[in-house]
Amino acid sequence: MKFRHLLGLLLAFAMIAAACGSSDTADTADTATDDAAMLDGDDAMEDDGAGHSGLDIDAILAADLSNCADAPSGDPIKVGMVMDFSEAAGFVDVPGSEVVPYVASLVNCNGGINGQPVEVEVRESGTDPALATQELIDWGAHFFIGPPFADATLPMQQTGGGEYAIFAAASTEPTLADAANNTFLVTFDDNGQSTASAEFALAQGLTRAIIFTEGEGVPYSGVNPDAFKAAFTAGGGEIVSEQTYAWFVDTDFSSQVNEVASVADGSEVFFSAGAGFQITALRAQMEGQGLNDITYMGTDAFDATGITADPGGEGFIHTPHTLLEAGSDLEKVLEASGTLASDAPAFMPLYIDSMFLGIQGILDCGCADPAGIAEAVKNISGFEGTSGSITYAGTNGIPPKAVPIVQVTDGANVLLDTIG
Amino acid sequence: MAELLQNLIDGLGRGSIYALLALGVAVVFGIMHLLNFAHGELITIPGYLTYWAFNNGWSWWTVVPLIIVSAVISSLLIERVAFSRVRGAKDFTMLLTSFGVHFIVSAGFLLYIGAAVKPYPRPGWFADTISVGSLNIEVFDLVVIGVTAVVLAATTWLLQRTMFGLALRAAAADFDTARLMGVNSDSVIRGAFALSGLLAGIAGVFWIMREGQVTPTAGINPMLQGVLAALIGGLGSLRGAVLGGLVLGLAEVLLRSWLPVGIQNLTTGFVFVMIALLFIFRPGGLLSVPQVERV
Repeated sequence: MKFRHLLGLLLAFAMIAAACGSSDTADTADTATDDAAMLDGDDAMEDDGAGHSGLDIDAILAADLSNCADAPSGDPIKVGMVMDFSEAAGFVDVPGSEVVPYVASLVNCNGGINGQPVEVEVRESGTDPALATQELIDWGAHFFIGPPFADATLPMQQTGGGEYAIFAAASTEPTLADAANNTFLVTFDDNGQSTASAEFALAQGLTRAIIFTEGEGVPYSGVNPDAFKAAFTAGGGEIVSEQTYAWFVDTDFSSQVNEVASVADGSEVFFSAGAGFQITALRAQMEGQGLNDITYMGTDAFDATGITADPGGEGFIHTPHTLLEAGSDLEKVLEASGTLASDAPAFMPLYIDSMFLGIQGILDCGCADPAGIAEAVKNISGFEGTSGSITYAGTNGIPPKAVPIVQVTDGANVLLDTIG
Repeated sequence: MAELLQNLIDGLGRGSIYALLALGVAVVFGIMHLLNFAHGELITIPGYLTYWAFNNGWSWWTVVPLIIVSAVISSLLIERVAFSRVRGAKDFTMLLTSFGVHFIVSAGFLLYIGAAVKPYPRPGWFADTISVGSLNIEVFDLVVIGVTAVVLAATTWLLQRTMFGLALRAAAADFDTARLMGVNSDSVIRGAFALSGLLAGIAGVFWIMREGQVTPTAGINPMLQGVLAALIGGLGSLRGAVLGGLVLGLAEVLLRSWLPVGIQNLTTGFVFVMIALLFIFRPGGLLSVPQVERV
């Protein structure tokens, strides 16, 4: 066979595989029907005693797919997922786009919501999240689950005219939340987790800090150190060295370490939002300079970059997005959906909760109008999701959730404290 | 003074890796006029093999040859599958082909391996230091500098004292005349890609050791540094490529150290400003070579 033909075959195969992998085709959990008003009913619901009907999430997660109730036949609840499968967000959005349809199938197995099936449609944001959003609006989505970065979420917001509830499931970026335009985080933001980290450090008697930042105000890699610095110094701590680096790029910190070594005595707390692989390299270089007793703290990037799998990450303290309880129904759901073994299992409850929060909005407003649903989401209070209690009422879309502080011990996260 | 010496050693260590990468870029450019933006894939592919090897119980003793051999094979495969198809085409076509190879390889890893960081252990000694007076010199830097010196000496011998080297230099000077004089073009080009892969593999050993992880786009940074260093030194000049690598490494470390705290994160920007200034005064790079137009 000529190489030209072989190359052509390879390219064709790659394109077919890409099309399959992108889930551009429907990841539909049930059959589709026309959009219509929502109905009241009892399936998969319970009264939470707070004046509105709540979802029985425990019952849904415990559903047995081999022994389902009668298939729901009402008008479907349509969940639109615009997901980023690129390197930046794919580690969370790829498994996230798998777990949500799976949980939707559990909802439907459990009889649906008020007899209504839940449908999930996934579109890859690619280079045009606005187009993906428009396609899902045309499909009839009632609300959206979006990627963790503003470059996709803002076009989604604009395409929907700010009328659709958008849950940035995996994000902690504070500027992304915007209740006025119905965009919500599902967990704490960077200010919350870094402030909690500073409070924890001070409570351990650590009063000298070394900070690595990408620059003041830089989303995530700068905002987290900014917040840590503010809370740490406000609590009486001192920043003995502040260094800059390139996020997800640098692994040679020679010149920074030379400077740190000239001012540090090795007893400091180190804080950064750097990726785990960067901080393990930095730690080795610090220890090479004799700085052996530094306490290493970081934000949830460590969740994302496999710090527990890195031998150099032993002892690191960080703030994971959620804590998975071993043997729980939730863990079983993740296992059954194939996402427990993914790169980011701790993020999956946030995707599941995003879907449930949108459904809760539908239940609360008793409507099918996206703007009405979003308005109801805005007023959600005390929602008990798989990732903890979530309240949007009175916030700008950032739920005031407690921040778990964990330490990597024998390759696993061990809870040290919960702050907030 | 001590910090300056420390930074000089750190810069030479970093620059040595850039020099090996740049030399690989320059070897191929000299023969084909191809600025190979797929050069970084010779780090990405061995990077994933490293991740695989450690998950299967390999150690660095066996991973190092794996990295080097896989880089050479990858380089030859890329030449056979992609660049041999456009051999003789315009430079711009080959440039686009190299971009295409980069994107296809990255997309392949993204689709079939995943987007997440894949970590593996660094060698235990990589951050060890040797104290010399007030200096704490990283063993890693010393090893990199030493290995680079040996590799450059061996490459010089290969190019100056062997028939292959003679053919390569003749082809680099004037490819068409070299062919008329009996130089086998296929052999020279494959040899150039094999040498380029070997140099990338050796650089890759150190790059991969320091990174401790691999992602689908892991090759972008080493590719950019290699291409930049080759441009600084003067495209087509092998000695210039080495010089460019060392200059780039030193510039990065020294600028990072000298810039005021508030603007240290602009180090890369300042490096590019310096490169722009260099090209204003020496458009051909530090050691420019006369360009022979292919006909």
